[in-house]
Amino acid sequence: MSFEWGTIVKSINWTLVFNLINFAILLYLLQRLLFKPAIQYLDKRREAVHARIQAAQADEEQAAALVAEQKEALSEARKRAEGIVESAQREAEAAIAASKTEAREAAERILEDGRRQLVQERDRMIAELREAYAEITVIGAERVLDREIKIEDHRRLLDQLLEEIDEERLRIES
Amino acid sequence: MGEIFRQLSGLLEHLGEKRIAVLHLFGAEIRFDVMAIIMSWVVIILLVLLALWLRRGLRQPVEEKPTRTQAALDGLIDLLKSQLADNFASERLAVMMFPFISTLFLYVLLCNWIGVFPYMMSPTQDINVTFGLALMVAIMSHVLAARSNGVRTWLKSFLEPYPFMLPINLVGVIANPLSHAFRLFGNILAGTILVTVIMVKFAPIIVPPVLNIFFGLFFGGIQAFVFAILAVAYINVAVEG
Amino acid sequence: MLQEAQSVVSGISGADIVEATKYIAAGLCMGIGAIGPAIGEGMAAAHALDGMARQPEMQGALLRTMVLGQAISETTGIYSLLIAIVLLFVV
Repeated sequence: MSFEWGTIVKSINWTLVFNLINFAILLYLLQRLLFKPAIQYLDKRREAVHARIQAAQADEEQAAALVAEQKEALSEARKRAEGIVESAQREAEAAIAASKTEAREAAERILEDGRRQLVQERDRMIAELREAYAEITVIGAERVLDREIKIEDHRRLLDQLLEEIDEERLRIES
Repeated sequence: MGEIFRQLSGLLEHLGEKRIAVLHLFGAEIRFDVMAIIMSWVVIILLVLLALWLRRGLRQPVEEKPTRTQAALDGLIDLLKSQLADNFASERLAVMMFPFISTLFLYVLLCNWIGVFPYMMSPTQDINVTFGLALMVAIMSHVLAARSNGVRTWLKSFLEPYPFMLPINLVGVIANPLSHAFRLFGNILAGTILVTVIMVKFAPIIVPPVLNIFFGLFFGGIQAFVFAILAVAYINVAVEG
Repeated sequence: MLQEAQSVVSGISGADIVEATKYIAAGLCMGIGAIGPAIGEGMAAAHALDGMARQPEMQGALLRTMVLGQAISETTGIYSLLIAIVLLFVV
């Protein structure tokens, strides 16, 4: 093996072939060491990431469905609660109204009773008064006349008198 | 100091030349560029180390949070996919050619960048290296075209759009890999020559690193990307007809 | 005077002339050859910027296509560079 100086441009020689052999070795080595495992690895990772993204999407969809479900249940519950409240309110109002009318009726009834009792009392008192009148009149008359009169006649007379008194009183009242 | 200047002037003396090893094997004379081959090995070792480092990110289970190594690997694969492989005409082609085009890009990139370091030389300033890669891309494009469209369609594509265009198409078949190779080679070599001349003749310090960043890293990156994406374009054109 | 000039001229060999012409040719080759790609790449960048200003969301694709187009239009410049290198180092 010997060395000499050659010019740059003019010499096409075995360097070409040797370099191509070098390049082929490099291609083989890089393919074996780097590109094949790297691409496999990256593909695997891409698949893993893809799977994870899909899982996340599924989870998200599920969560969204759950949320929607919850929301629906909530709105339903709210609707039901509103219904309940409304019905309760209606019932309460009805009860209040009922109790009001009842109370009014009771009051009216009590009033009525009182009035009736009053009237009765008055009537009774009038009747008593009338009897008392009669007796007083009879006694008075006995005293005045000082004689025995036939009770029957007197009674008739007194009744007449009482009626007059009644009429007079009625006139006064009205 | 004097030693450094002597070496620098030696650089200029052998500017535009390269070490050729001559190997006599089985009566045949095998000549090759020693520096280019050694540097190519260095690049291969670096890339394999990078691959081994990035592989550590794969140990951890898929479900866990990505580590820093894994993020780097992720970014690299994503970059190579979105910038290079996704430009292929079909999804099937992209998946099939992803390792090839990625390796091509990384190899050319590191070949360009390694010339920035002292005592190192870009393998891509050797026309053999770039021409070999371009030739490989051209052959691969035609093989893929013949395989995916059938040999008859592939042969007929040379008669498109008119049969008398055959010579022009054949010139295109040869010119494509030539221009593909010369573009990378010319850019990297021009950068190296410029940096060497300026370093030796004008400013041995301060300026060369800046120029190296510009010509070595920036142009190296762009040319590696262009080389790979042109390979994609050639394969696309050949397969789609 | 004339004899001096003659002696200077006779001192110049054919190899010297070839050497001098080589450098002149390489310089001219690079100088003229760089005009075309420079204009072309500038136009590509200008129109890409135009497009980017109009549609900022297309920036990635435009940048990639611009770099690709510039690299292809650079080919002519690279050819002239190659000729220059051949002239300098090989001829």
